[in-house]
Amino acid sequence: MARIELRNLSIRFGAFKAVDDVNLSIGDGEFVVYLGPSGCGKTTTLRAIAGLVDATSGDILFDGRRVNELRPSERNIAMVFQFVSLYPHLTIAENIVFPLRARGVARAEIARKLDWVTGVFRLGDELRRYPGALPPGARQKVALARAVIRDPAVLLLDEPLSAIDEQFREEMRWELGHLQRELGVTTIYVTHDQREAMSLADRIVLMNHSKIVQVAEPDRIFFEPASVFAGQFIGSPSMNLVDLVPVAGGLRLGDSTVVLGAAELPSGIAGHGRPVRLGVRPRDLRLVDGEGHALAVDDTFAVGRERFFTFRIGEAILQGTDHRRAGGGEGRVRFVPEGLMFFDAESGLRIAGGGRPA
Amino acid sequence: MDTALKPRSTGRLMIVGFLSPTVLLLLFMVAYPIFSLVHYSFYNFSALNPDKGMDWAGLSNYEYLLSDSGIWKRFVFTGKFVFLCVTMQMILGIFVGYRLQKTFRGRDLLFTALMLPMMLSPVVAGFLWRYMLNSEWGVVNFLVSLFGFAKVDWLGQAGPALWAAAVVDTWMWTPFIILLATAAFRGIPETIYEAAEVDGASAAYVFFRITLPMSAPVLFIALILRLIDSFKQYDLFVALTGGGPGSSTETVSFAVAKTAFSYFYTGEASALAVILLCIIMGLAMILVRHLSNMGARH
Amino acid sequence: MTATRNQAYAHLSRWILLVLLGLYTIYNLGPILWLMISSLKSRADLFAMPPKLVFEPDFSGYQSVFGVGAARDSASSVGVFDSLMTSVFVSTVGTTVAVFLGTLAGYVCSRFEFRGKGDFMFFVLSTRMLPPVAVLVFYHMMFARLGLADTWLGLVLIAVFVNVGLATWIMKGFFDGVPKEVEQIAIVNGYSRIYAFLRLVLPMVKGGIAATAGFCFIFAWNEFAFASILTTTRAKTLPVKISTASGATGIEWTQICAAGVVLIIPVLVFFYLIRRHLLMGMTFGVLGRR
Repeated sequence: MARIELRNLSIRFGAFKAVDDVNLSIGDGEFVVYLGPSGCGKTTTLRAIAGLVDATSGDILFDGRRVNELRPSERNIAMVFQFVSLYPHLTIAENIVFPLRARGVARAEIARKLDWVTGVFRLGDELRRYPGALPPGARQKVALARAVIRDPAVLLLDEPLSAIDEQFREEMRWELGHLQRELGVTTIYVTHDQREAMSLADRIVLMNHSKIVQVAEPDRIFFEPASVFAGQFIGSPSMNLVDLVPVAGGLRLGDSTVVLGAAELPSGIAGHGRPVRLGVRPRDLRLVDGEGHALAVDDTFAVGRERFFTFRIGEAILQGTDHRRAGGGEGRVRFVPEGLMFFDAESGLRIAGGGRPA
Repeated sequence: MDTALKPRSTGRLMIVGFLSPTVLLLLFMVAYPIFSLVHYSFYNFSALNPDKGMDWAGLSNYEYLLSDSGIWKRFVFTGKFVFLCVTMQMILGIFVGYRLQKTFRGRDLLFTALMLPMMLSPVVAGFLWRYMLNSEWGVVNFLVSLFGFAKVDWLGQAGPALWAAAVVDTWMWTPFIILLATAAFRGIPETIYEAAEVDGASAAYVFFRITLPMSAPVLFIALILRLIDSFKQYDLFVALTGGGPGSSTETVSFAVAKTAFSYFYTGEASALAVILLCIIMGLAMILVRHLSNMGARH
Repeated sequence: MTATRNQAYAHLSRWILLVLLGLYTIYNLGPILWLMISSLKSRADLFAMPPKLVFEPDFSGYQSVFGVGAARDSASSVGVFDSLMTSVFVSTVGTTVAVFLGTLAGYVCSRFEFRGKGDFMFFVLSTRMLPPVAVLVFYHMMFARLGLADTWLGLVLIAVFVNVGLATWIMKGFFDGVPKEVEQIAIVNGYSRIYAFLRLVLPMVKGGIAATAGFCFIFAWNEFAFASILTTTRAKTLPVKISTASGATGIEWTQICAAGVVLIIPVLVFFYLIRRHLLMGMTFGVLGRR
């Protein structure tokens, strides 16, 4: 087990800054998920922690010891890659024990470990087969078995589930989370899939443009996004954004006639003094039969049980959920006050609103 | 692969029209000669005076060849030569190919330059080395003497001549192994190496347990092609040693040519050619089966 | 520290590998360089011991190859230039015919499924495997009977035979790289298959045809076994001429070195043109298809 610390970590490839001055500390046994769009620097960070990429500047510390100069094999880490990295000419059993053999571990010890890991991953039937004969999901399971067989201090996972079909992915995700808690190994997991991040992580590290945007528990990152980017990247369907215009009696939504009054606005917004943007998730933007703002609804549609509606404010198309009773009237649009988030229009940072539901 | 175009009437015409010249040429230049060769091998006759006719000899040509110590000597020599040069080529080619995986300035240029010897005529190669290996004024012996060793009569003694021939063949054909080895090594995905690095495998362990086994299918093609080519080697010996000293560096191919075109024992030469063909075709079959296995796996 | 020891070890092994690579490079390229240097030496310098690295360049070898200057009248030089012409003619015509046949056959093998296709492809491959001397036993008689022995026509036939299989396999590879939709669209639009092949597909494989021709030329140019046995006086190619270049004073090394360089130069030129397709060409199109 190990604590990991990144201090002012920067990585450049020529003129391109892949990772820009990142600071982070990860606790012993913690499950941290790096999340972000492709090219944001999350995989590069992971590879730097593994030792496959050199840090341009800054320190990587394991349990307080600087490991920048250590080779990957000397860092006591294990890694699972996005694309299958099993050795095609070795059987599943030989693949799994490869790290032990490479280090010259005694035969009896190898057999004991193989037994253990075979039991954990229920791989008994596959041991004598070759990777080519297994579906991608099972191959990643083997890669995971190979990673944990030598009790690494840190487990690094680079989008391990992205090449697997949807159905098997759910199952693997559950198993992975279960296994990590059982082993208690410090785990860093890279993904661009927010659902994986939300369901697995103790903490999510959200990255964009080579920088960390927010580090927080999944709940908090959802309810209290640090910025417009965090708010929009997490949650599906994604958050609506509208510029607010100060008018007498409150803030107007774009060039519409809707004005959010004092009742709907948190304190402090009025005195912000700079342009403000409103972020509201579709679930907090409701079309109801009762009280609300009168707005021209563009379209309504259903996705399974859930019904949605859209309307326009200027160029922007906003999406909300339709809460009218079946066969209801025209309906009115209601903004759920706890769901309103206010961002500084220039910096994108959240200045008010948001928070966990009571 | 998606389905091929339907061979409708124009298609059929095209197949026949486009293929028939090549088919006819090959029937005339491959099938007919091989058929005749087998036919001749059962007769006693000489191409010098074909009018004298052909005497049925049954299997006596083969019996004679298999009992003749001179022929066995040539098979043994060919075997030694094949073993020596193919071993040296494979080891050297794999090593250089492996080293050329790493990027450095001028690598592509060096790689291209290193390919050159295999594109040369074996005759040029043979004479060039014969010139360099001359015991009196050859540059090789000059280098040998620089290091304080006695001059070697490379081409004048049976033992050194075998080694000299193997060194020259290795000079020509190591580039071929380099070419195939680098192609094979390139086919191994980078993540495989990264995984091995994280797993703590040393460079040597990775090379012998991952790089070599994973490139084995392509290296096997290289091996078989080299076995075939070195087994039938003829040109190089004509230029380098002329089969000498004595007959000590005559390969099987050389013996076929000598029997057929110096002694004009055409029947006997045919029988020896048939034996040579069978060995080569055996190797070729192994290659073809290997290729179709490889194709099936993709 | 294990890290520093490992680094020292890695450092050392890196240097050893580099030195070995350097030695191999000398072994590989040294002889060719030596040939080029030697071709410019006079007869006396050629046999100097220790070998001279600084010397007065002497072009007598080249003069005799091209039949000019003082060497013109010397008996030994007669025929070297003729051999060069024979080589040029035979290789050029042989290459042209082989590429023509190979293009047709390669196209059909790439685009159609027909009975016996696999057998045909193997049959074609066998030209790469056959030991020349085996079929030569028969060719020797056949060529004599047909009046092809010691003629340019006979040599052209050999050059075509040696290369047609290679050309077929390589061209098939290049045609495989052209999407079938190219012809399908043309046919849907009412053009004939022949038109699609000639006007659409062929222009798309121009580079492939050039590469194939490069390979065929090199192999035809270097061909020795067939030519040495099927020609005696009139139609000797340059490699054959070199192998028989011994005069009253033994082997004519000045001539051989110069002729060797002359033989290498076209190879160098074509080799440069085909360098990207080496893998394909040297493995009969089995590997390296793109």
